[in-house]
Amino acid sequence: MGLTRMHNTLSKSHVMADRMATVNRLEEVVSTSDEFDQVVSQALPILLDRATGYTKRFLRETGQWSDDIEHEKFALRWGSEYLERFLVCGRSEVPCRPLFLFDSLVAKQHSKPEPFCYHPDLLRPLGRYLDGLVARAVVSRDALIALYHHSYGWGAGDVIAVTGLNGLESQRIYKNFRRWRESGWQRTMDEVGLTKAELAELGNQQQRQRQRFNSDAERLIRVAQAHYRKSEPDHYPCLSRSQWGDMFTQGYGCDYRIWHLALCLDCMQTAWGLGSSGSLTGEKPRLELQVRP
Amino acid sequence: MGHEEELDAYRSQLLESLNRRPTIRGWSDPIQIYVNERRVGELEGAGVNATLQVQCVDHIETVQLRAEDGTLLGGLTAPECGYRTDRVRISADTVELSVHNMAQGGTLSALFTPAPSFWSRAWKSIADVADRVVARHPEPAYGMRMVAFTQALLALAVVGLVTDRITTGRTSVRTPAPVVQTAALSPAPVADMAKFEQQLDELARMQTKVDDALGSQQKGVVQLQQAMAKLSSTQESFESNVLTVREEIEKRLETVGRETDRQTRQMASRGRVEQEQLEAAIQNLTADNHRLSKEVVSLEEYNQALKSKLQTAVASASKAVDPSPERLLKMADSLQATQQMPFLFWVTFSDGTSQESIDKWVHEMQGHKGAVSEGWQEVRILPPAVPADRFLEQVRGEKIVKAARISQ
Repeated sequence: MGLTRMHNTLSKSHVMADRMATVNRLEEVVSTSDEFDQVVSQALPILLDRATGYTKRFLRETGQWSDDIEHEKFALRWGSEYLERFLVCGRSEVPCRPLFLFDSLVAKQHSKPEPFCYHPDLLRPLGRYLDGLVARAVVSRDALIALYHHSYGWGAGDVIAVTGLNGLESQRIYKNFRRWRESGWQRTMDEVGLTKAELAELGNQQQRQRQRFNSDAERLIRVAQAHYRKSEPDHYPCLSRSQWGDMFTQGYGCDYRIWHLALCLDCMQTAWGLGSSGSLTGEKPRLELQVRP
Repeated sequence: MGHEEELDAYRSQLLESLNRRPTIRGWSDPIQIYVNERRVGELEGAGVNATLQVQCVDHIETVQLRAEDGTLLGGLTAPECGYRTDRVRISADTVELSVHNMAQGGTLSALFTPAPSFWSRAWKSIADVADRVVARHPEPAYGMRMVAFTQALLALAVVGLVTDRITTGRTSVRTPAPVVQTAALSPAPVADMAKFEQQLDELARMQTKVDDALGSQQKGVVQLQQAMAKLSSTQESFESNVLTVREEIEKRLETVGRETDRQTRQMASRGRVEQEQLEAAIQNLTADNHRLSKEVVSLEEYNQALKSKLQTAVASASKAVDPSPERLLKMADSLQATQQMPFLFWVTFSDGTSQESIDKWVHEMQGHKGAVSEGWQEVRILPPAVPADRFLEQVRGEKIVKAARISQ
């Protein structure tokens, strides 16, 4: 028993020494992009923990922290997000000291007015699901197009009709759907840390209390959409029906229609039926959340 | 699963995702471009030299390139002010990013360059090799000469063989009867055959040598091509790096130069304005000083006059025999009367001055016109506050007055 304890102590001290050496290496100047990649790739766990720690501190200082697994996951998720950006953008900053550059990047993120979409309800499985979906839609066109499916249950043809797209764009929509089904959805679920059990539970809730489930989802998706719509170009505000009508009739603003209508429930209702030349004359769409792709 | 295990699993999953290589982008998939985490447009993935120019009101802090599935393909962090360029490799394709942040806003330029195809690369290598060989040897290429020489050697050997066969053929025609010939010729063909064999052997050896020479020549050419291709790509990248650096230096110098010029001009113009203001202030002060000194002089003169009057009055008072109050009062009255006596002076007016102007001027002086004698107008006014000489000078300074004097 004493031997085992000694062995554990030794291995712990080895780990600590390695960790210290890695941190020291991160504090030294790297001169080339390749050197940056090499040094940083060996220190991913340290950097992830560091970014997660900073995010926790930010949440504590802004009165948004609770000691539970949801908040821990939230901090981990954003730590990973910052680290991903650092891995890609930090290469252009050489020569630099990676550790200090990383700290400054995280500090810069946290100095923004709303660095991330925080709402206590968005930390629960349904909220996390919707937050992850909408957050992904901001950076992935596959997720953006899939958002039409998850919100209203539409397929590629419906999306093309509703947004009034032409032939060339239509092909792209089919590809977006295919890629999302193949890998995008699962990857998003992994990134937000939704387990299979949690997804199954969401499915059950949807089966049991469909109306309440959709009503909760609508309330939460509005919170997420309001936050993430800021990532749209500045010139994509909400429009009146006549303005949407002009856009659909004259055939411009293809990107505008795709992006904004996916991220705004109200505008979807406002512009309902304009893109289909009168073929979509039914009731205005309501949120009917689809958990699976 | 406990919370700790769940968290550990999530952390491992995130680390694995970060470690994973980026997704290979589809050939024709566009590349989404984000500035400050806002989507600003996309680059056509299949287009040759597709470009995107973006002008932002705010400073550009970050630029990100993302695939359709959201994978972060590349990006850069821009400086607060100035230029930053970067070449992001996406598989074999390249996106050149160039950010310029100014005092107000910034601009982004993105240029997509697809990877060249196999045939275009091969053709380029050959063309490069040919170019370099021609550049190095203005006469026909060394390799080509070797090949031509080998071919000529081979042709000579073949011609020699054919000549030999023909000569042999002619000799055989001259032979007499076939029967005899059979007997007579029997040793000759054997010798010929041996000769032919020897010649063929030589030819075969020569052919082998030629083949070897050709093979080694080809290998040499291939190696040369490879070396040239490598050299040319190295040179290209070196040249492009040099060009990029030079452009950046020029841009910086230009920016610094413009900024310095602007600052110098601003400082110079500011200096000029300040100098002019200072000069004007000095002039004003000088004029004020001059005026004040004049006033001081006139006040002193007036003071002197008052003093002399006072002395006269005091002397008269002291001389008085009867210093009764009535007498003193009379004296004071007489002094007051003296002071209230009208002051007479004569003026002539400038030619063409209307009577109306003269009347107006006299009225402004609260005076009265008197007699006119030889063009001189008598004017009576209350005694002026300044001495007579100074008063006359003031009168002479009037626009309509030609001359002024006290006595007629």
